Amino acid sequence: MQDPRIRIASAAVLSLAAFISLHGAVAVFLWWLVFTPRLQLAKRIRLVFSIILMIAFFSIVLELSGGGGLSYFMRMTVIVLVGMWIFSEQKSGEFLSIGVWLFGNRSGFEIGMIAEMGMQSLVSVTTDLDRIRMAEKIKGMQWKVRSLVPAGLVLVHGALARAEDTAELLAIRGYRNGGTVCPKFLTLPIDIVAGIFAVGILFFTWIPVSEFFILYR
Amino acid sequence: MVRITFNRLSVVRDPWSLSASGTFNEGVHLVNGDVGSGKSTLALMMAGLLPLSGGTIEREEITTTMLSLQFPELHVTGLSVAEECASWGVAPDEILDAIGLTGKEDASPLSLSRGELKRLHLACVLAQDYDLLLLDEPFSSLDCEEKVKLCAQIGQKTQGITIIFTHEQNILPRVKRIWEIVEGTLFDCGTPPDAFQHWRHVPPVIEKLIALGSPPDNISRDDFLEAVCRIQG
Repeated sequence: MQDPRIRIASAAVLSLAAFISLHGAVAVFLWWLVFTPRLQLAKRIRLVFSIILMIAFFSIVLELSGGGGLSYFMRMTVIVLVGMWIFSEQKSGEFLSIGVWLFGNRSGFEIGMIAEMGMQSLVSVTTDLDRIRMAEKIKGMQWKVRSLVPAGLVLVHGALARAEDTAELLAIRGYRNGGTVCPKFLTLPIDIVAGIFAVGILFFTWIPVSEFFILYR
Repeated sequence: MVRITFNRLSVVRDPWSLSASGTFNEGVHLVNGDVGSGKSTLALMMAGLLPLSGGTIEREEITTTMLSLQFPELHVTGLSVAEECASWGVAPDEILDAIGLTGKEDASPLSLSRGELKRLHLACVLAQDYDLLLLDEPFSSLDCEEKVKLCAQIGQKTQGITIIFTHEQNILPRVKRIWEIVEGTLFDCGTPPDAFQHWRHVPPVIEKLIALGSPPDNISRDDFLEAVCRIQG
């Protein structure tokens, strides 16, 4: 999907639809199968499998402690799949363009810049995590639950150091607020079709369709 | 004898790619190249941590491999400096004394400055012998004095293959062979001083010495000084 406005709006409505009900989650999953490059995504973002495993763990706990675990698992997994798609399709500068397109060169620029920094940080954290696991392998250590503590510290430390560097750089360059961007977007017909379907899924998930049909029974 | 050979090795990450062929024998090698040229990728592939897109890597008699990543914090697995030293299998007292960090045993490794952490990391790595030692940007975050000390330590290595991946141009150890990554290809420049003719990004100091008719024998500071002395007669 080329147009980031439609992509982000679609992701927002699809996530909401998947969260609201199990039917919505199934519909969103079908949308994901039709409109995204699925397996290629999964290969690129290996971290997704770990997240899905974590969701599975909490779902089992939920199921054993009171029920609803399966529904939770399916809904959350679909939301993760949508998130994975958004993360992999996002290109540098898109959030800035959307921010300015939505809210103008002052607050829009700032919101967009914060979103850009967030995404950049996410990419850096993913790369760092890969390297940390490699470094542990080099030391001959196995990845264990205990490894999470130092790895987490390194990741947080790295993210804070990068944030500090960015803040200093902006201050040195004399940044105070706002900025100027001329956003340009490429919209393909398939983007519009996918967007309409995404909104349609939310619509049919939101309204009580079954009750509507009962009236005509 | 230990040896590592690249047979038409390639890695493709569209639009970027890297290809390499050649053999690294025992001794210290320099792999030079611009930032982003693929030095770290090549180091990771040599360590067997990245899959190849094509070609093969043959490792002969290499049983122990160590890769030092550019950013030392990525190696940190200990919650204290002493624990970090222990994770490398070295005694903290000895190492910390050698690098001037005595008294910081209980400090978090992440509370050290980047330079201190780099010194600690390199000291732990260099405390042991490996058949294949890969050092990715070992000179980054070090001041001149520490770079010189590191060169001396690397120069003392008498066995195994040591490969330095760096864009450093001024302070380097004496090396057996120089390699260079240019436009996605690894080139074997040869052995110094003949290698200087083929080294596209030859350091300015070597260029100057060649222009003055006194090329250094190798790329260490001592070699530069010796070449300068030759000029002065």
